[in-house]
Amino acid sequence: MRTRWLIDAIVVALFVAAACKGNAADDAHVFRIGVITSLTGPAAAFGQAHKNGYAVAVAELNARGGILGKPIELVYYDDQSKPDQAVQGVAKLVDQNHVPILLGAFTSETTRAMVPAVMQKQVPLIMPTATADNVMESGSPWIFRICAGSGDYARATVDFLAHNGAPKTIALIYENTNFGQANAASMKTVATAAGMTVVDDEAYQASSPDYKALLQRVKAKEPEVVYFASYLLDATTLLRQSEQVGLSPSYITSAGTGFSAAEFPTAKGAGKYAEYTFSVSQWLPTAKWPGSKEFDDAYTKLTGSHPAYHAIEAYAALVVAADAINRAKADQPGPIADAIRTTRLTTAFGPVQFDAKGQNAHPVLITQIQGGQYKVVWPADAAEVKPVPTPAWADRH
Amino acid sequence: MHPGDAWPGVVVNTPHVMEAKLWPALQAVLDGLLTGSLYALIGMGMALIFGVMRIVNFAHGAFLVLGMYVTYLLFDRLGVNPYLGFLAAAAVLFVVGVVAYQLLLRRIAERSDFMQILLTLGVSLIVSDSAQLVFGADHRQINFALRDVNLRFGPHIALNAPEVVSFAITAVVATGMFLFVMKSRFGRALRAIAQNRYAASLMGIDVLRTQALAFGLGLAAVGVAGGLLLPALYVYPDVGGPYTLKAFVIVVLGGMGSIEGAAIAGVVLGVVESLTSLYLGNEWALVIDFAIFLVVLSLRPSGLFGSQRV
Repeated sequence: MRTRWLIDAIVVALFVAAACKGNAADDAHVFRIGVITSLTGPAAAFGQAHKNGYAVAVAELNARGGILGKPIELVYYDDQSKPDQAVQGVAKLVDQNHVPILLGAFTSETTRAMVPAVMQKQVPLIMPTATADNVMESGSPWIFRICAGSGDYARATVDFLAHNGAPKTIALIYENTNFGQANAASMKTVATAAGMTVVDDEAYQASSPDYKALLQRVKAKEPEVVYFASYLLDATTLLRQSEQVGLSPSYITSAGTGFSAAEFPTAKGAGKYAEYTFSVSQWLPTAKWPGSKEFDDAYTKLTGSHPAYHAIEAYAALVVAADAINRAKADQPGPIADAIRTTRLTTAFGPVQFDAKGQNAHPVLITQIQGGQYKVVWPADAAEVKPVPTPAWADRH
Repeated sequence: MHPGDAWPGVVVNTPHVMEAKLWPALQAVLDGLLTGSLYALIGMGMALIFGVMRIVNFAHGAFLVLGMYVTYLLFDRLGVNPYLGFLAAAAVLFVVGVVAYQLLLRRIAERSDFMQILLTLGVSLIVSDSAQLVFGADHRQINFALRDVNLRFGPHIALNAPEVVSFAITAVVATGMFLFVMKSRFGRALRAIAQNRYAASLMGIDVLRTQALAFGLGLAAVGVAGGLLLPALYVYPDVGGPYTLKAFVIVVLGGMGSIEGAAIAGVVLGVVESLTSLYLGNEWALVIDFAIFLVVLSLRPSGLFGSQRV
């Protein structure tokens, strides 16, 4: 069986060679940062927003000298919107590409899966967009979050409602992965504490074609408010089928994401069904922070359309990373993490400062789609326009 | 004062309350019939393949996705309405079915069930991974004017126009398939092979060629279903997985190899899922598929209409 042994040896040698290939490329001339996001899969539209946001940041930072004098090179890993892939991405980027810091992922589900891996590899992670509060529950010194979380979303929405008609009954409709469940749980707690009654609680599978029975159940409870936690395609289908079923609450509110995506009010999303819906927002192009307008212009020039907040969160994550590394004057994970912790930076996304648990206290806005555009309606000092009452489906157009 | 809060836990069934409960149930039944018609078509394809070839087609859902992509491409590139595009999907899948049979499946036609399972699973992986390579893993949906049209019957019942159209098309295709299998010469050859393939070959039937055409026909049915499903859903490489499983449930429920059984079982499944979704919640609708599967297999393995040996 000598030939058999020889073949086995060759196969093993090939595997070892492939594994060792890693990144023998020249490290000296660029600064590499690892990025995990959903370039394909159900969250692909948002992953693309991330990518474009990062691109704007890279161009801007490189024009100012890059990181530690070197141009930035982002090493992407596509998690395909799957948590296990995100975990693999951590291993690949840290072990093979030797990046000292990671940014990502997009969804709460994929991000949460990454946390134990990041803690084990001891590499800092800056999360741009995961809103489920449980991604931060480990309290690890290696994780940082730029965006506001599900608790903040719920508080902002309830605050808005209390000052705009004070409805008493609310139904929750949410997709059944981490994002949906975390946001529904946060809203349940906050709404109940504020004296509202949660009349219905419906989890759904995001890939289902038919939510009509679910929407019938909600309709039967006659909620004044419906709070959605949905991605883009399910948001579109839910609104379309709400019209069919005749579910017309006085307020259609949401935990952002699908309901705040750039495509949502357009023909690629829910189009006219999106009108009058409320959403939480972390940022709009009309925000007053220094650099917001410049980001909007740069992004529009790059992609041809205006950014939603997911893109600028990615931008801000990279800007914060660059600032921290430049202050640390080191390219090792430990010093970088320490430098991130002492960040005090004003960005186009607003001021960034992390608390002891790694959370940035970012304000949440409430927007409403009026005339196919997102308009800030709350809080009063940031509002562009007043909120408009939501007509029943039968009374529209 | 609402009739329901007379005493806690006691619902006073006034006519108003009865009526309020009846309409959503009726709507759910109608929606279930519409969804169920597509299930019926998918199940009939699986039943045909199983009846004639005793092959459990694990690639059924992957071929459904292929049908959806063909229809999507025609719409996206050429603007062909999916209610015409499904014909192309059926034609493409017929050819794919015949070719797949001739190249792959006929070689294991005599072999063990285990090999068939492995082979069709392998085909399933190849088809969905190829779709991912070509189209990417993104969800794609199509938007056209009819999609927003709802037919309203009184204040309580609304039916989505595309679903009604696909129900009509499905009914025609399913009836056509049934008549073809029952009345035509080819159909008789199929049923002869299903009864006893050796005797059939002794009677002068070209078994392998007939089986190839049957496989093509079964996949063509799936192609039609894919084309009609696309407007209601969105397509991505893995979307077919749950439909393979539903096809199993439908074939088992209807009786192995019975095409008319699969048709009825598909519609029943659609209605049951819809009512479960109404009374228990959207997530339970998936559980109910498997509950039915287990119950039928343990209590009545021959299914509702089955007379075939299992």
